[in-house]
Amino acid sequence: MANYLAQFQTIKNACDHLVIAVEDVSDLWPTVKNGFEERLPFKRACLNNKTRNPVFVEKLPAEFILTTDSRLRSRFPQEQLLFWFREPYATVVLVTCEDLDEFKTILKPRLKLIVQNDEREWFIVFVSRAHPSNDQATKMAKKVYAKLEVDFSSKKRERCCKLDIHGPEANFWEDLESKIMESIKNTLDRRVQFYEDEIRKLSEQRLMPIWNFCNFFILKESLAFMFEIAHLHEDSLREYDELELCYLETVNVAGKQRDFGGTDRGADQAALLNPGNKPLTQIVQDDSFREFEFRQYLFACQSKLLFKLNRPFEVASRGYSFVISFSKALALHESIFPFCMREVWVITACLALINATASHYNGLVSPDIEKEFYRLQGDLYSLCRVKFMRLAYLIGYGTDIERSPVNSASLSMLPWPKPAVWPSVPSDASSEVFVKEKMILQETARAKHFAIQRKPLPLEPSVLLREANRRRASLSAGNMFEVFEGRPSFIDGSGSDISSRVSPSPKVHGISMSRTNSSPMNFESSIDRPMRLAEIYVAAEHAMQHTISDPDLWKSLSSVKEFEQKYLELTKGAADNYHRSWWKRHGVVLDGEIAAVCFRNGNYDLAAKSYEKVCALYAGEGWQDLLAEVLPNLAECQKILNDQAGYLSSCVRLLSLDKGLFLTKERQAFQSEVVRLAHSEMKHPVPLDVSSLITFSGNPGPPLELCDGDPGTLSVTVWSGFPDDITLESLSLTLIATYNADEGVKALRCSSATILKPGRNTITLALPPQKPGSYVLGVLTGQIGHLRFRSHSFSKGGPADTDDLMSYEKPTRPILKVFKPRPLVDLAAAISSALLMNEPQWVGIIVRPVNYSLKGAVLHIDTGPGLKIKESHVIEMESYANVSQSTMDMANCNGAENNGTLAVSGEFKQLTLQDGRIELPEWASDMTSVLWVPIRAINDSLARGTSSVAPRRQSIVDGMRTIAMKLEFGVYHNQTFERTIAVHFTDPFHVSTRVADKCNDGTLLLQVILHSQVKATLTIYDAWLDLQDGFVHTRQGDGRPTSGFFPLVISPTSRAGILFSICLGKTIAEDEVKAQHPVHPDSILNIRYGIAGDRTIGAHTPMVVESTKPNGTTQDLIFRSALVLQRPVLDPCLAVGFLPLPSGDLRVGQLVTMKWRVERLKDFENEVSQNNDEVLYEVNANSENWMIAGRKRGHVSVSTKQGSRIVISILCVPLVAGYVRPPQLGLPNVDEANISCNPAGPHLVCVLPPALSSSFCIPA
Amino acid sequence: MIVCVAVVGHQNNPLYIQSFTEADDALKLHHIVHCSLDVVDERVNNPKKAGPTLNETFLGLLYPTENYKVYGYLTNTKVKFILVTTDLDVRDADVRNFFRRFHAAYVDAVSNPFHVPGKKITSRTFAERVSTIVKSFGLSSAG
Repeated sequence: MANYLAQFQTIKNACDHLVIAVEDVSDLWPTVKNGFEERLPFKRACLNNKTRNPVFVEKLPAEFILTTDSRLRSRFPQEQLLFWFREPYATVVLVTCEDLDEFKTILKPRLKLIVQNDEREWFIVFVSRAHPSNDQATKMAKKVYAKLEVDFSSKKRERCCKLDIHGPEANFWEDLESKIMESIKNTLDRRVQFYEDEIRKLSEQRLMPIWNFCNFFILKESLAFMFEIAHLHEDSLREYDELELCYLETVNVAGKQRDFGGTDRGADQAALLNPGNKPLTQIVQDDSFREFEFRQYLFACQSKLLFKLNRPFEVASRGYSFVISFSKALALHESIFPFCMREVWVITACLALINATASHYNGLVSPDIEKEFYRLQGDLYSLCRVKFMRLAYLIGYGTDIERSPVNSASLSMLPWPKPAVWPSVPSDASSEVFVKEKMILQETARAKHFAIQRKPLPLEPSVLLREANRRRASLSAGNMFEVFEGRPSFIDGSGSDISSRVSPSPKVHGISMSRTNSSPMNFESSIDRPMRLAEIYVAAEHAMQHTISDPDLWKSLSSVKEFEQKYLELTKGAADNYHRSWWKRHGVVLDGEIAAVCFRNGNYDLAAKSYEKVCALYAGEGWQDLLAEVLPNLAECQKILNDQAGYLSSCVRLLSLDKGLFLTKERQAFQSEVVRLAHSEMKHPVPLDVSSLITFSGNPGPPLELCDGDPGTLSVTVWSGFPDDITLESLSLTLIATYNADEGVKALRCSSATILKPGRNTITLALPPQKPGSYVLGVLTGQIGHLRFRSHSFSKGGPADTDDLMSYEKPTRPILKVFKPRPLVDLAAAISSALLMNEPQWVGIIVRPVNYSLKGAVLHIDTGPGLKIKESHVIEMESYANVSQSTMDMANCNGAENNGTLAVSGEFKQLTLQDGRIELPEWASDMTSVLWVPIRAINDSLARGTSSVAPRRQSIVDGMRTIAMKLEFGVYHNQTFERTIAVHFTDPFHVSTRVADKCNDGTLLLQVILHSQVKATLTIYDAWLDLQDGFVHTRQGDGRPTSGFFPLVISPTSRAGILFSICLGKTIAEDEVKAQHPVHPDSILNIRYGIAGDRTIGAHTPMVVESTKPNGTTQDLIFRSALVLQRPVLDPCLAVGFLPLPSGDLRVGQLVTMKWRVERLKDFENEVSQNNDEVLYEVNANSENWMIAGRKRGHVSVSTKQGSRIVISILCVPLVAGYVRPPQLGLPNVDEANISCNPAGPHLVCVLPPALSSSFCIPA
Repeated sequence: MIVCVAVVGHQNNPLYIQSFTEADDALKLHHIVHCSLDVVDERVNNPKKAGPTLNETFLGLLYPTENYKVYGYLTNTKVKFILVTTDLDVRDADVRNFFRRFHAAYVDAVSNPFHVPGKKITSRTFAERVSTIVKSFGLSSAG
């Protein structure tokens, strides 16, 4: 059956649509032909696919062919069966008849004959030529057609239809089409069934030796072809897929060594999209096909169908895998191919696929598919690009290929071509070799920017020189070294990694020398001598020229310039397509390759843009190694473009990369660039972000804690990523208050230029007083040269090698805490008991620091009125512990005198007051101490004794003195503490008197009771009484008690009494009184006493202020107290009585009349001459409590007769509720001794609150 | 031969990358690993494509290139393991097994309290363990 292959091909080429046979019985075809062919192609057809499911086909092409046509006539039955697909799918029988008899006798038998062949699907079209106006003819035609229907149509199937040429066509065409479709469908089903049966039969024999793939192929492809012409492309595609599967299974059956194919001229150009590239008959071999051509043929058929199905994506997808798998297959047979045939084939295949799919692609697919499609395009471009680079490298354009990671990854893992024999240099190519040699020598390794020393990445899987020579038949690998041996200059000249990597060891050297010596004859022969690199290039070029049949491809390899253009085209293609797919990284990386070419060609602007993208990609995901490869290039571009800002930031980024990625020397170069630019006059100075390079944090440990208002110094750790010391012209750091956003930021400025060492630096910043709160570090800003820079915070790169490794992950740690205002120190009086009035005394002030150092504190002391500091005396200071200690000792010693003398521990100091201020000593800064200030309270008034009858009224305020103190402390004396303390002074005694007894002889025993008012032991040495006028001492004594009583010791707060005996004497006239007692009209008690007390407890011995006292009795003090001695009321003249209040209760605001009755008890007639019938009265009332209506003071007339009386009424209004003193009536003109109060007025009256006023309760 | 293994963090940042080639060409392997993230991303972002393997950590072959193969593995914390091998006929089971052991080693390494999550893995023990796993790769199938 293989013989039919050629025929099959021709048939296939000749027919590409369905055929419908027309049996023109009545010569009607010329008449109806146009009408029939107008229906083509069929607009809509419903056919069954292989699985008998209906498939709708649009625009099914077909052709009407008369059965008399030669195309249908001359066929052998067997051919008909084999190539059944080309047989008519329907037979239309065209008849007409106008006579029933004619129909019966002639037409019917003939029709029966025609339709008896059951194989065919037929139907009859009755054409009525009857004119509608001709009733007779029309009727006849109808009759004949009816007869026809009866004879040929069955219940199962309508096989007739009628066409009225002149009449309305009505439904005829639809009818016709449906009949044709029905026929085609039936035929197709039957034929599919037939082919399937055949194929199954053949498949069953597949493992038999007689099995012939060609036969299988013809059947299978016939079926596929039939589906194709029926526009059932899916089914057709499936058949081809099965065919391919079957082929791959059979072709690789071991044992059958077949010719692979592909050795013909032009085979290097992939024909995977052109099924008609080569006739199948030319590739048939031993009942099968050569793999090289046939697989491409199959793929071409598949892709053709896929394109018809409008699935270019699938073509690309299948195509890519096909190229990969076919490339593998080619690798297996590489030895039979011309040099680099495989690479060339892949290039052409990829380009063909790219072009075909791109031109068929219309974008009407889902987004997913679209992305995938572009990805595949990118893959194809990429694959093509790699192979193209490989070819170029073999020719010697390797120096123009960027040694980037992407190129290295694809080329260094791609094995060299493995030809049976590596091509050798043609004999006449010496000039070309010379040119290449020159090229190699001229080529200098492209120096990296910033003088970065980096081993270039390999572009070759193994050294080409060795590989090429090894693959030459006569040379083994051992001879490799002869190459280097013979041409040492080459090693230096090439400058590529090839030479640097291969260094002949001395041992091998020796061996190879002997070999060389043993065969000196062969050394010069061109075949056996190892090829040099230039020769390899030339040889490869020549070999490739033979291989490559595509002039365009060859042109692209003809010169470096052409190569670069093609290279750029492929790279761009790949990059653009990747960009449109999911694979952005691939795209961006290839952009970098384009950038490299742009850079080489001086198109720095474009190069910079692309490099920026690549850098952003790597930097974004932290691929520092890769970034380190690209970033110098970007920096170089920016430098050339004079993009100072960009260049600077690139340099900074280079510096902030991992330290291990660059040598110190290189990093120093980056830094010097930064510094150079920073100090140069930049046109547009930009703030530089050095967050990744200069990082900072507070010192580990708790934050600095400051009290409110305190300045301080903040120590901050700054890491410098610079490899060398760098001078920062200025440096400042902001503090951000946490929990207080509106507080704003405070900048701390470092005063002077700072030099940062590489690594860790500690910077100390002066910290002005801050508001209370906690603070974190904000931004570090500063200047390098003219350049401002800022570092936000911890960057991701972070100071990896520091101990604060985790700090950037942690929430920012507060660096400073400023506490809310709190008492930092306390000043208090050391004692609360009273001190001696009018004597120099020590006032103790306790200075107590509250967790705060008082270092250098200054105390200002300002005494209030009535108080004076004895400036001539030193101020003493001692620790409070000492004081309490001494107090305890004091208790033990029971009164021993030791003020401050126990303070021997050194924590005692004598200070002097200067301008009212004292500087506290160092040792007092952290401990509680007591300051003893010598002071004297002045009170000029004389102490007054009280009568024991009258209640003792003692006003504390009298003895109260204040000392205002201001303490300035803190590091900068910024803190102040002000306190006014009260000190209580008092006389040593309070004196009260009482007449103890009244003797018959008029002697009064006056008992003087001395109350000790101080917490100290008082010793009375002497006491005497200077009596007032009207009293005299009995027995004309000096008023001193018996001296045997003295000294009298009075313990603290105890009492003692002294009795004086006095008697009433003559009253002296007023003038005399004045003359005799110029100072006091009262009696004076004089007491000479001494005091023994401790200053830590209370009153104590006055310190010796001056030594002007004449004798040693300086300790004896004199206390004088005035006593009021009242003469007894012997002759009362007037009596005042308070009359009871009228009603029960007093109310606030209620008028009340106060009444007093004044009564004359004695006849005054003879005693006072003038105005004795008038009495002056005065009402005293507290104006806060009472409102007095009427005259408060006035004269009332009282008869001088004894018993005359008068009532004084005063209208009063109580102002406050409660128990208040009522107004008192006094008579100022009458001596108290002459007034008798009987009954005595009430001390207090009760005043009720005002009655509720109902008017306030009525709502308005 | 395995030429490179890598751990890539969930932000696609390299956490650990180790090449096993003699030549000084680690950078190209960096490139391969980095680019293979495209494929991982694609699979992760397109659950439709991932299909039934949606919940599986092993991502399978990422790259059907001619000369080397890249396999991927995605932990449930979105950490990726990438394996680059020049063996062109690798059994899936071997790779799965490799990744399982590698994952265990990784988990041990990051469980170190001194390891900072998201930072590069600098543990020498981990490196040793990885090289052991790499060396034993494929031995089970050969034996």
